[in-house]
Amino acid sequence: MLKPLNTAAQLGYRTAFGLFELPMATAQKLIGIKRIAWMFLLPNLLIFGLFTFLPIILNFFYATSGGDAILLAHRPYVGTENFASLLSCTDYLDPNTCRRDVFWRAVYNTGWFVVLQVGFMVAFSLLTALILNRDIPWRGFFRSVFFYPVLLSPVVVALIWKWILQRYGLFNAGLEDVGLSSVDWLTDANWAFFWIIFVSIWAHMGFYTLILLAGLQAIPADVYEAAEMDGASRWRVFSKITMPLLMPTMIVVLVLSLIRAVQAFDEIFVLTGGGPGSATTLILQYIYETGFASRPQLFGLAAAASILMAVVLLVLTLLQLRVTRGQAEN
Amino acid sequence: MAVVELDKLVKDYGDMRAIHGVDLTIEDGEFCVFVGPSGCGKSTLLRMIAGLEEISSGELRIDGTCVNEQRAAERGLAMVFQTYALYPHMTVRENLGFGLENIKTPKDEIRRRVDEAARMLQIGDYLDRRPKQLSGGQRQRVAIGRAVVREPKVFLFDEPLSNLDAELRVVMRGEISSLHRRLGNTMIYVTHDQVEAMTMADKIVVLKAGLIQQVGSPLDLYNRPANQFVAGFIGSPRMNFMAMSVTKVESDGIVVADTNGRSFTAAVSPDGVAPGDAVTIGVRPEHLEIGSERGHPVTVETIEQLGGESYLYCKDADGHPITVHKSGQTKIKAGDAAQVFLPEESIHVFKKDGTALTRLRIGEEA
Repeated sequence: MLKPLNTAAQLGYRTAFGLFELPMATAQKLIGIKRIAWMFLLPNLLIFGLFTFLPIILNFFYATSGGDAILLAHRPYVGTENFASLLSCTDYLDPNTCRRDVFWRAVYNTGWFVVLQVGFMVAFSLLTALILNRDIPWRGFFRSVFFYPVLLSPVVVALIWKWILQRYGLFNAGLEDVGLSSVDWLTDANWAFFWIIFVSIWAHMGFYTLILLAGLQAIPADVYEAAEMDGASRWRVFSKITMPLLMPTMIVVLVLSLIRAVQAFDEIFVLTGGGPGSATTLILQYIYETGFASRPQLFGLAAAASILMAVVLLVLTLLQLRVTRGQAEN
Repeated sequence: MAVVELDKLVKDYGDMRAIHGVDLTIEDGEFCVFVGPSGCGKSTLLRMIAGLEEISSGELRIDGTCVNEQRAAERGLAMVFQTYALYPHMTVRENLGFGLENIKTPKDEIRRRVDEAARMLQIGDYLDRRPKQLSGGQRQRVAIGRAVVREPKVFLFDEPLSNLDAELRVVMRGEISSLHRRLGNTMIYVTHDQVEAMTMADKIVVLKAGLIQQVGSPLDLYNRPANQFVAGFIGSPRMNFMAMSVTKVESDGIVVADTNGRSFTAAVSPDGVAPGDAVTIGVRPEHLEIGSERGHPVTVETIEQLGGESYLYCKDADGHPITVHKSGQTKIKAGDAAQVFLPEESIHVFKKDGTALTRLRIGEEA
C-alpha cells in the first residue's frame, strides 16, 4: 500500500523513482545482476572505443600502408617502410643528412624545447611557489595573478603574445618610443625559439606553481619550528628540510610538465606557425602538417611519426605512474 | 646554570590579549610545570620563552640576560613538541644530529653525543630508521633525544605525552622525571593534565585566561589553593563545592550554613568575612566520610566500584553534586540515602570573588 502523498516533493521523488524502477527491474531480470555493471559502462565504452581505441588501431594500419589515399582499402601495404623512411639518416646528429630532414629538425626542436621549457618552468614555478608561500602582502592577489593564464585558452594566449611581439606590435612600439630599433621577435629563428619557450612557460607555470604551493603547504609547520629551535640557517632549512620534503611533488611536476612539453602544439602553431622556416616546428606540428596540411597528404608517414611519439609518451607516462604509485605507498 | 625570569610578559594577537603580564622566576634546575585548561595561554607562554612567538611587551631573562631579541636557537633552549615534529625524511641519527650540524660541531663529537643520548633513551637500535617506522613512544624518545644532544640550558616540553596512550604516558612520565634528576637542567613543562603536573613538578604554575592563578609546590596547591579555580583544577576527582552563608565568625574558624539551616564549622582564618556573607565551601572527595551517623544528608545517584577504591556520586538537598571517594569497596547502592560527614579541618572556604580563606589546620600534614 502506498502511503498518501503529502508534499509535492514526495510526489516528485516517487515519479522519478518510478521512471527508473521499471527499466531497471527489467534490465536486471534480462541480463542478471552481475552483468548489469556492463550496461552502465556501455555508453562510455562506446565513446572511448569510437574516439580513442578505434583511431589507435586505424593508426597502425595507416602507418604500415603507403600512398595518399584516405580509404584504407585503396592504400597498399608497405610494412615498415614509413618507419624506415623516418629513421633513415647518415648522421643522426645532422638533420640535413636525413631523408626526412624536417622530421629530424622537429625532433631536435622538440628535444631542446622540452629541456629548456621544462627546466626553466619548474625553476620559476618553484621560486614563485616559495615566494607565494611566504607571508607577503597581497598574497591572495598574487596567487590568482600567477594562476590566471592557466584559465586562458592556449589560442588566446598565443594571440595576445602575437599582438605584443609581431613586427608592428606593442613591444616594438615601446622599444621605438624609447629610441631603440625594433626587433623581429617572431621572424628571427633564435628569438622565435626563445619566445615560444617564454610564452609556454607564461601560460603553464601557474598550474605547476599551484601544485608546488600545495606541496609546500603540506609540510607541517612544527617541522620548521623544530628546525628553528635547532638553529638551522635559512639555507639549511631550504636545502635540508624544504627541498627533500618537496621532492615527491617536484617529481610529479617534472614528469607532468615533460609529458605536456612533448605534446606542445597549439600556442606555438598560432604564435609562429612553426617558422621561420622550420625553426619552431615541433614534432606534433610535423605530424599535423605531413598528414593534413601538405599536398600530397602523407598519412602513412604522419601515422608512423605519431607512433614513435607515442612510444616516448608511453615511457614518460609509465615513469609518472611509477612515481605517483611509489608516493601513494609511502 | 639557568634561571629563567619572566617580567610582565604580555602577548597580544591584534586586539586580543592572550597573556596578561606574567611575572615568574624559574630557578636553576627546577622542574616547572605550566598547567591549565585549554586556551589558558600555557603553550603560548612556553612558545614565547622558546622564541617561537614574539613577546609583545615585558622582558624575558635567562641568567639575567634579556633574550627578547634573540633568535630561538641563540637562547640555548631545546624544545620537545606535542607532535614530536621529527624530520620525516631523516633517520633517527640524522634527526638527533641536525641541530649539532647546524652549529658545525665536528663529526666525531656529533657521533659521540648522539650515541650517548641514544643509549640513555634506549633508542640505540633504531638509529638508522625513519620516524615513520617507529611507534609513538619511540618517536617521543627521539624527540627528547634531539633536545638532549644539544645540551641546552633549559628544556621546554609542550604537552609531550598527550599523543601517547595512558599506559605509555605513565612510563614516559617516569622517564622524563628521571632524565631531570640525571641532567639537573631547568625544565619547563606544559600540560593540561593535573596528574602529570602533580607527579613531576617541583613548582606548578596554574594559568587561566592568560593570568597566573597560583604558583607553588604540588602539595601547596593541593593543601592551600589560593582560589576556587585552583581548588577545582588540582585534585581528581575535582573538589566538591557548596554554596553557603556565614552564620558565625570566631578567631579559630567560621560557621556556615546551607539553605536548610544545617551548619558546618570550618577551620579557616575569618579575615574579610562577616556573618551573612555568601561563601562557597569546598571539600575534596577523599576527605568526605560517607555512611556515618552524623552529617549532611545526600542521595547516592551513581557508584563506581574499582575494587581498591569506590566513587560515589551523590546529590544533597540543595542539588549540589557531591562526589565521595572511599578506599576499598562499599555496600551502599545507587538510590540509597546516606549521610556525608565534612571534617572541619578539611573544609576550604572561598569568598564571593573566589579567593580562599587561609586554612588554620591541615589534616594531611598531621
